[in-house]
Amino acid sequence: MANICTTKLYEARKGDELQVSSVPNIVLLESLGIHAGTRLTVKTRYPLGGPVLIHVENTYSVAIGKDIAKQIEVFSEIKGSDKSELQNIVEVDEL
Amino acid sequence: MSISHEINPRDRILLIGNPNVGKSVFFTELTGIHAISSNYVGTTVSYMEGHLPVGGKEYTLIDVPGTYSLTPTSDAESIAVHFLKSGAKAIICVLDASNLERNLYLALELQKYDIPTVYTLNLLDVAERRGTIINDRLLAQDLGAPVIPTIAVKKQGIDELIQELNIVLNEESKVTSDGSAANNISINANTATKCKQSCGKCSQCPSKRLESQADIWSMAREIRQRVSKQETSSPSFIDRLGDAMVKPMPGIPIALLSMAMLIGVVVFGGRGLRAGLLPLVNEIIVPFFRWLFALFIPEGIFLNILIGEFGVFVISFEWILALIFPYVLCFYIAFSFLEDSGYLPRVSVLFDNVMRKLGIQGGSLIYTVMGFGCAVPAIIGTRAATSRKERLIVTAAICFAIPCISQTGALIALFSAYDWWMMPAMVLFGLVLFISVSLIAGKLTKGKVEPLIIEVPNLLMPEPKAYGRKLLTRMKHFLKDAEVPMLAAVVLAALLAETGALNAIARFAEPLVSRWLGMPAEAVTALILGIVRREMSVAPLIALDLTALQAFVGGAVALMYIPCISVFAILTKEFKLKIAAIITVSTIIAALFIGGLINQIGQLFLQLT
Repeated sequence: MANICTTKLYEARKGDELQVSSVPNIVLLESLGIHAGTRLTVKTRYPLGGPVLIHVENTYSVAIGKDIAKQIEVFSEIKGSDKSELQNIVEVDEL
Repeated sequence: MSISHEINPRDRILLIGNPNVGKSVFFTELTGIHAISSNYVGTTVSYMEGHLPVGGKEYTLIDVPGTYSLTPTSDAESIAVHFLKSGAKAIICVLDASNLERNLYLALELQKYDIPTVYTLNLLDVAERRGTIINDRLLAQDLGAPVIPTIAVKKQGIDELIQELNIVLNEESKVTSDGSAANNISINANTATKCKQSCGKCSQCPSKRLESQADIWSMAREIRQRVSKQETSSPSFIDRLGDAMVKPMPGIPIALLSMAMLIGVVVFGGRGLRAGLLPLVNEIIVPFFRWLFALFIPEGIFLNILIGEFGVFVISFEWILALIFPYVLCFYIAFSFLEDSGYLPRVSVLFDNVMRKLGIQGGSLIYTVMGFGCAVPAIIGTRAATSRKERLIVTAAICFAIPCISQTGALIALFSAYDWWMMPAMVLFGLVLFISVSLIAGKLTKGKVEPLIIEVPNLLMPEPKAYGRKLLTRMKHFLKDAEVPMLAAVVLAALLAETGALNAIARFAEPLVSRWLGMPAEAVTALILGIVRREMSVAPLIALDLTALQAFVGGAVALMYIPCISVFAILTKEFKLKIAAIITVSTIIAALFIGGLINQIGQLFLQLT
């Protein structure tokens, strides 16, 4: 029933609950506990090429710059169809 | 960066933990030395050491810069690994109770080094607020070492920590004298532990089983799930405020408002204090010394150097106490609050998009704001930056375009005699300068700037005691660090004025100062004294009765002109002499060239109107 479809973290939307499938090889990400399997929620998006603010494992917040967020692959486990539009979401909300 | 070590590793105790978990607070509590702590990554970017007496023996406690893991990602973090490799008697590892799993990663990594460890479970109040309950006994069992629950800012658990440290240190010496390692460690006063204490020899040792990073992470998770319980809790007001502050809306308006408030506190608070201190200096302190010296010293050049118009005792009180100190105090009152609250990383996140366009990333905004206080800690702070290119860009931008608070105070005092728009115009000029320097420095330096990865810490209400102590420490540092170079500058000023040397130099510099910059010949004093300290490139202008254009040119030249002697020293230390020389020479050239350009264009403009 889990419908898996990976996308880039940079394309995720505010409020998305995601799981990381792959990260670029950056030590700081690993040290901050962001690696394959990490669960995260997208807290805020920023316009004009700003970072993605994520809440990691429901505990702490980390902001990740655009160029790295573009290299992080994530997927969401969709239950039923409560999130109908899982496209390659591009645009940022707000401002 | 030289980490020389005369301290015997056998007497060394390391204080290690993730950034922003309160290590510096422990350091202050344990040694009585005031480490500057604040609520963002990288306050301790060099390291501090202090004496720590435990059980009648003296040890050296080292406040190691915060690190998320033992694979360093910046100059600051590599210091931790250096210390571990060169050995230590014991480790105090500070864990953030509100963020246990990630902190356990570092805790487990540490076990590879076979150094006896006491863990402290800090920030318990924050964890409790979040509904996290941790069983410290179970945690001690899993880590195979004592775990002390603490709330360091409220001094809770400090005594227990020292007691436990004493026990661990004694066991360690017993073990070494017996020569039989594993068996003795198993008995521990507070915690009935199995042999997991980093002996690295038996099969139960956690460090034995953990080979890859993924193993450590899953072990950290396993432990966290076993020892902690999460109750649902509705987010408190301050947590919600912290979340709101990092959203573009209302975060950006709040950021602009905070900056406006910071400026307001400095400008109006500084002015108010100055209004109180100036009469004290002019009517009581200076006349007192004038009367005192007149008793002993005959009139003449010597008396003038001491207490004449530019006398040491006149100028040092007038400039240091009445002109600069009020602004320094007001700035740090506001800045320390922002720093301790964890607000600054939120600003970095909000403005990362803008900073990215300048070729740097939002994280550098923190050092830039620090630079408004003093460039020296700001440049040291950039050690936490992940790339050298970024360090260089930010350092150059700070040297050119960010006035330290002493200079800002002097600029405010200078401009207060003119129309209100002078200050905003100068701010705008500084902003254009900052952007230009960042872009140019980005073009000139090789390499790549790493994009932002920054933890956004909990928003905290600063603890009044810790906050007050930090403010006091900073003021002491200011008075101590500023005193010697300031006095040197003041003595130099007095000598120049009283010996007639000033007139000779002024004649020589006349084409540059008067014709190109359009300043009165005496303004050359500012250029000479500005080498020593930045506010000295402004202060002499205040008494000169300048026109508005002259004041603006003077301010603009001072802003760009030479980073002071202390900054030059730190530039040399951090980046080698070549870079220091390049930055210094280019600031002089830019200051004189752009300052003159402003004057020439301004003159033209005035003639037309």
